[in-house]
Amino acid sequence: MYTRKRYVIPFLIPGMAGLLLFYIVPFFGGIWYSVTDGSFENAFVGIDNYRNVWNNPMFQLGLKNTLELSVICAPLLWILSFLLSLLLNRVRPAGTFFRSSVLLPYLMPSSAVLIIWLLWFDFGGPVNHLLNALGASRVQWLQGGELRFPIVLMFLWKNLGFCVIIFMAALQAIPEALYEYATLEGASYAQQAFRITLPLIVPSAFLVFILAWINAFKIFKEVYFIGGAYPDEPVYTLQNYMNNMYGKLNYQNVTTAAYSFAVIVFVLFGILFWIQKRAQRGLN
Amino acid sequence: MQKKRGLGFFLLRGFLVIMAVLILLPMIQTFLYSFSSIGEMKAYMKTRGNLSTEVWMDAHLSPNMFSLGQYYRILITDNTVLRLFVNSVFYSVMILLGQAVLVPTMSFALSKFRFPGRDGLFFIIILLMLLPFQVTMVPNVLTLRALGLTDTVWAVILPLWFSPFYIFLVRQFMVGLPNELLEAASIDGAGPGRTYLNIILPVCRPILGAAAALSFADCWNLVEQPLTYLTNRMDLQPLSTMFNQLAKENTGFEFAGAALYILPALFIYLFFQEDILSGLQLTELK
Repeated sequence: MYTRKRYVIPFLIPGMAGLLLFYIVPFFGGIWYSVTDGSFENAFVGIDNYRNVWNNPMFQLGLKNTLELSVICAPLLWILSFLLSLLLNRVRPAGTFFRSSVLLPYLMPSSAVLIIWLLWFDFGGPVNHLLNALGASRVQWLQGGELRFPIVLMFLWKNLGFCVIIFMAALQAIPEALYEYATLEGASYAQQAFRITLPLIVPSAFLVFILAWINAFKIFKEVYFIGGAYPDEPVYTLQNYMNNMYGKLNYQNVTTAAYSFAVIVFVLFGILFWIQKRAQRGLN
Repeated sequence: MQKKRGLGFFLLRGFLVIMAVLILLPMIQTFLYSFSSIGEMKAYMKTRGNLSTEVWMDAHLSPNMFSLGQYYRILITDNTVLRLFVNSVFYSVMILLGQAVLVPTMSFALSKFRFPGRDGLFFIIILLMLLPFQVTMVPNVLTLRALGLTDTVWAVILPLWFSPFYIFLVRQFMVGLPNELLEAASIDGAGPGRTYLNIILPVCRPILGAAAALSFADCWNLVEQPLTYLTNRMDLQPLSTMFNQLAKENTGFEFAGAALYILPALFIYLFFQEDILSGLQLTELK
């Protein structure tokens, strides 16, 4: 640990300058934007922008869809990756192949496989073939509310691997001896899972949940790939609204919408951090 | 002790094999289709979008006849895809170069130095990491406009140099390094600069490899930034934002384009796979 202050300067200044320039300073500067009207005189209008944006039906739609999609995606991703990592943990050391193939999509450009997705979910495509074989009728996946299904699936396909790897790292850090001792003491598999595995991986599980949620807010990507630049209403996200407003050079609305969303994000993660603190204390 | 290989053993493996194949299928299919002739693919893609309940798309697994026609088209006669591909390479290289300088130095400062405001700064970085692009684009845009950089490549490149997530990732790894490393180096007469270059960077190899590979994956799949910042400059778009255009136009060579785009990512993955696994395992991600 270096304690002399002048040592840190060459390491800190370049990155610090960029963060200040592109993120921190304009973040506060932007607050001014969100309370002025953007005209030539740039008059102070208080919370008028916020009232306008919150009353805008497209903003409401985008916000609702973004939140809904993330509420579907994040927990689903979390549970699936936890289950998969438990399974993978049981096949070690032969699990390398599976682990690699699960992680692979995270590194793949999902933009390049979107065509495959469009084929699979076509009205006459393989997924409907499968449904038909199972006796169900065909679904128009690429329209309306059903669009959410391929979009969520693509999100899971892409992000599953990363979460599995973090879970696996936590699982493998648990010493085998703990389980042997528990078995000797006569603890059942379920007891071991809840009394040993779960408490020991709480920090990682929480991290995965946060990362899953951060990524779920980025779901615009998948929407753009499958739904195009002007998607149907059920998948119209906040990013679509922002891009639209930005295209119209309405910076007041962009800023106001962004800061409204920032407040929601901070409140959400604040609650999650609080729950984690409680959970940790409860287990100890 | 010999482990028993019961039914569960095979069920578990069977299930995982099916999972793995399903996960890999989009890539495999892309590569298979990329060797069809252009005419064959055009005809096949035309069967899409038919809403009649009587008609199915043709079942099509592999090319009827092996052909390099699609590749010939995109690599030699028609340079639309290639030009967009070069844009993607340019963005990735520029972003990674900047990050390679800025991210590890910043992480080093945040992990192995004591200075006033350090913890506050780290907290701000975590807050920034939590914010999605919808929010951070606003401060970025304000600065980019003030500097007159919108509708240029720098609008995409510069803000990503200071990616909070990678600073966090590398910092968490460096925190776990023993301080004795620094002490030993300073006893041998090395200052912080030398220690950083000759000791810290080599020791951080796994996490730097992992961060580079993950960051490359992000750059290679850029969507939000170019779509937002480069609305008036379609010629500067990376290939990743243009695939649904290609698919819509039914050019017949979209699969060779996709395969071409997957290949570099595949090489990066194979090259850095061990780093990603060990780097993330060794990082104190809590």
